Amino acid sequence: MQRILLAILVYLMASQIIAINCYSVEPDEFLQNPKKESRARNISKNVRCLVCQNQSIDESSAPLAKDLRILIRRKIENGNSDEEIYNFLTERYGDFILLNPPFKINTLLLWILPFVFLIIGIIVIFLHNNKSKKLDYN
Amino acid sequence: MKKGILISPIILFFLILLVFFYLLIIDRNPSELPSMLINKKVPAFEAKLLLENKIFISPGEFENETTLVNFFATWCKPCRDEHPYLKKLSDEKRLKIIGINYKDDSKRAVKWLEKLGNPYSSILVDPNARLGIDWGVYGLPETFIVNSNGMIKYRLVGPITKKNYDAFVLKVKEVGK
Repeated sequence: MQRILLAILVYLMASQIIAINCYSVEPDEFLQNPKKESRARNISKNVRCLVCQNQSIDESSAPLAKDLRILIRRKIENGNSDEEIYNFLTERYGDFILLNPPFKINTLLLWILPFVFLIIGIIVIFLHNNKSKKLDYN
Repeated sequence: MKKGILISPIILFFLILLVFFYLLIIDRNPSELPSMLINKKVPAFEAKLLLENKIFISPGEFENETTLVNFFATWCKPCRDEHPYLKKLSDEKRLKIIGINYKDDSKRAVKWLEKLGNPYSSILVDPNARLGIDWGVYGLPETFIVNSNGMIKYRLVGPITKKNYDAFVLKVKEVGK
């Protein structure tokens, strides 16, 4: 009895994990060519779903995400490069649609600020250390 | 000196708190995105019309007067709330409004307009969101103000309501200048 319960428990937990890892790409969207399909998946993972803004369109089941996934696949079939597809999307939706923001003048602060804070932190610790050393000697 | 160092994190903390509090109380929608199309020409496209058996060709249709472009659908509840205000804009302000029926059932859309009235000078059908993606649409309704040179000047995400109607009319006038 206990074993059966344990088995059910394990099964439920496993199904939860699978549910979490499950993607929203629907079978009818898949491209025949596996190489092109993996390219499409890769792009989809980098593209933000603008409806549920913390998900990629690969994970989102919002209608707009599905439209964009289909659009990306159609563009791949038409022979567009990855860069052309990203450009097409940012021209219409802005850099915000990329989950990995590009290094540009208006995102400079975003990229550099963490390092600036790190350096400030190191300086503060260094100064503090020096001071407490002096106190010790006194 | 020592006191200053001790007290500065506390002051900083309260300053940050103040900033957060300010962001909390001002009237804003954090998920609203700026349009990439502002100050750009309307996208070039062709689309079928809902009520006539004709093809609509952009940007040719945008070059005489200030025009509104309104994305709507019958499944979109806020679009229904917005509808009387669109009617008001077309009846009282004599504005040219182009409707884009986004991912909708055409029959249902026709019925909807029969029942609620038709504020649009033409209605285009966009069954697969092709036009929506070209215009950077991510949530319905969305309304664009296009000036007489075919340049997009403003986008409103969400419905025109009692609350923002006057401000919206002002925006239209500004663009028309």
